[in-house]
Amino acid sequence: MIRRVPVRASERLYGLRVVATPEALDHARFAGSAGSAGSAGSAGEVTVLRIASDEVLALGAVDADVADPHAIVELETGFVGWHLTAAEFVSNVERHIEWLLPTHRPALAQGLIAGLPLKLWFDDDHDHDHDHDHDHDYVLVIASSGLAHEVVERLGVPA
Amino acid sequence: MRFALDDQPVDYLDGDSIAVAVVRAGQHPQHGGALCLAGDCGNCSADVAGVPFTRTCLTPARPGLRVRRHPAVGGPPLRLDPPKNPVASPAQTSVQVHRRHVDIAVIGAGRSGTAAAASARAAGHDVMVLDSESGFEVVGVYPGPIVVVRTPEHMLHVHAHEVVIATGAADVHPVCEGNMLRGIVTWGAADILRERSVDLGRTVTVDLTELARFDGIDGQVTAVVFTDGRSTPCDTAIVTSATRAPRDLLARMVSDPGVSVVGPAAERYDLPPCPTDGIVCPCSKVTVGDLQMVWDKGFTHLELVKRAALCGTGTCQGGVCMPHLRAFVTEKSGAPAAPFTGRPASRQLTIAEAAADVFLDPFRRTALHDEHLKLGAQMDRFGGWWRPWNYGDFMREYWAVREGVSLGDVSTLGKMIVSGPDVVEALERLYPTTIADIRPGRSRYVLLLNERGHLIDDGMVCRESDDRFVLTFTSGGASFAEAWVRDWIETWGLNVRIMDRTISLGAINVTGPLAGELLRRVGVPESPKFLQHRHADVAGVACHIMRLSFTGEASFELHHPVAHSAELWQTLMLAGRDLNITPHGLQALFALRLEKGHVIVGMDTELDTTPRRINMDWAVKMDKPDFIGRTALARTADLPDHRRLFGLTMDGPAPTEGAPIYVGDRIVGHVASAFMSPTVGKAIMLGWQKHSPWVDTVTVDGRTAHVTDTPFYDPQGARARI
Repeated sequence: MIRRVPVRASERLYGLRVVATPEALDHARFAGSAGSAGSAGSAGEVTVLRIASDEVLALGAVDADVADPHAIVELETGFVGWHLTAAEFVSNVERHIEWLLPTHRPALAQGLIAGLPLKLWFDDDHDHDHDHDHDHDYVLVIASSGLAHEVVERLGVPA
Repeated sequence: MRFALDDQPVDYLDGDSIAVAVVRAGQHPQHGGALCLAGDCGNCSADVAGVPFTRTCLTPARPGLRVRRHPAVGGPPLRLDPPKNPVASPAQTSVQVHRRHVDIAVIGAGRSGTAAAASARAAGHDVMVLDSESGFEVVGVYPGPIVVVRTPEHMLHVHAHEVVIATGAADVHPVCEGNMLRGIVTWGAADILRERSVDLGRTVTVDLTELARFDGIDGQVTAVVFTDGRSTPCDTAIVTSATRAPRDLLARMVSDPGVSVVGPAAERYDLPPCPTDGIVCPCSKVTVGDLQMVWDKGFTHLELVKRAALCGTGTCQGGVCMPHLRAFVTEKSGAPAAPFTGRPASRQLTIAEAAADVFLDPFRRTALHDEHLKLGAQMDRFGGWWRPWNYGDFMREYWAVREGVSLGDVSTLGKMIVSGPDVVEALERLYPTTIADIRPGRSRYVLLLNERGHLIDDGMVCRESDDRFVLTFTSGGASFAEAWVRDWIETWGLNVRIMDRTISLGAINVTGPLAGELLRRVGVPESPKFLQHRHADVAGVACHIMRLSFTGEASFELHHPVAHSAELWQTLMLAGRDLNITPHGLQALFALRLEKGHVIVGMDTELDTTPRRINMDWAVKMDKPDFIGRTALARTADLPDHRRLFGLTMDGPAPTEGAPIYVGDRIVGHVASAFMSPTVGKAIMLGWQKHSPWVDTVTVDGRTAHVTDTPFYDPQGARARI
């Protein structure tokens, strides 16, 4: 669930990054902190982004149960995100995207946008036709914190 | 209604293109040459509203427009506006790119294009028709396929499953003596001009096969001379031909199964007669004599003739000359000559259009970027990152490391965790160093070699447990190293998990003889021994402390979650205030490591540098059964090798890095790194000798330099172990 209060400026994303066998990740369970919100969700909620077959970025997670004795589970603070409405996404981001965006929800998309490696997380609680959903957060744009300044400059989003 | 041509008013009628209006005024948009008025040639191109090489036949006349002819000789002058910010990425470019994804893109809205589009729509496909008359001027087709289009408002990238090129065929231009006179038009152009009620005066129509030459006075055609000797006076010569030229430039740009050509663009027409005189390529002013000259010099294939004579490399990209060039090569060689490859762009783009939505490679900032700026750092780009070059006084930074304590931001280092049952096997194969005997809590310096035994990176291997390691790589080599490690482990099918931590972890190097004291002050009573590492809280921040030394002094790298970098840095700076703690930048770091003789991969090494060439055979264990590069090193071990990196010293200031190294009058190599070392009291260098026998005395900057053992400083390495 992407929270409803728009966060226009970037914020650091906290969570866990996990590398394990694909099978183990398919059945992994993540727990969020009861008292703190994952950046992409409300308190205790975890947003699990499968960024590779063997890798997960679990935003908001503080604990992971992964059935792989060799799994690598690490605190991840290296990403920042921008919550954008559909209108902001269309005007600032979409015009720089050379590839097809996913139409199903929820969906994770990853690729170069304006020459930057970015991730897009489209949550599942919105109308797929984003032209009709201008008032609410529509997408979470995720970048490595080291590239945040470039995202600001190239996409015109607030720092 | 009027516009200005070379500052003179030209009347036009509603619906006129610039070229039609110019012809109506009895003039020529350039200085001569046959006009097609269909966008196929460059003979009507001019500077329109400040944009040179604009096809005036495709540009509607507008009131107040300023049109300038290109110079008769040479090209239009380049307009170079001073850049406002030469290092900014072109995010503010005024031309945007829009994108569309369709099933089928049809280029051309003539009969064949319309038929192709109708057929595709009938089959239920999403079709987009791209035609310049509708404002969609296709400038290139790329693999994908992607069609790049210029519209009046923006650039458009059309991603299509299929591209159908239906661009038709063009009239063939005449090539003969006098073909650059004014008053010559193709049959199609004559139609357009008549349709626009342009008075052509006395006209003569001549077929290409019957055309001998054009006669003229003061650049204007006055008569057509036929092959049978007849001469017919005229004001306008209209050239016809039974054959045509397929407009297949876009099709020749890409070899993609998703791209097809239909209609006249796909036809194979007969070639015109081989030209014997005149200008073949009006854009580049290439004559038949020029073609003959390059042919006689041995350029006997069409692609070679094109390159040597520049025939077909101008504005129209072969639109005029292609049939004649093919006819020339076909006759000379006796074999049919295929058209040359087409390359985008088929239309002249402005820099802004070409640069639309093109971005420079980004340079990352570490989490300490603002801390560096607060401390007055001069930032520079290095290895894909913005890094502090110095903080205003690099020698002060140097002495802080040598005599006190200093912080360095090494967050840019490549960092990786590898884990799994096969991890030792994987690392044994990746590195030329023995891995299995590294005990948990210990670390080892390693080289990374490619299959040819050439050095591609270096770093540390830190063992955390039996089946888990932390690897580090150089800042500039981190991305490649990650791909390298992943590719090989996947290739070998080994059971290893890999997590790149480069962007996730910050790293601060606490270095200097007082580094241990500083760590004690921030909660690390007992710091790791040399080449040991462990996890511990430092000032409340969970850190992986690695003890090593690149500076030659005691050094502790504190790897930590990047969110805590600023907090950790500030705490360390505060705790070290009475120790005169001073951060150091790259300039000081390069000097410090040079005193220790440590190489920087990519700066001191070359693409084919082997460990032997930099005297680092000690880091290669040839008794290991296998590792990447072992076969090549074994094969070349006994071959003569003329290259070596040497330590050098000389009196006086340090030479410029890159300075040539002489033996007598002969350049034998160059200086890779140099620094005027206050501790050594001389200029110290790492430099290459690439011709054997190597000598002990060379000349650099006109001064005598001596080969000297490295390290230049603390050769026993005692200070790093304090």
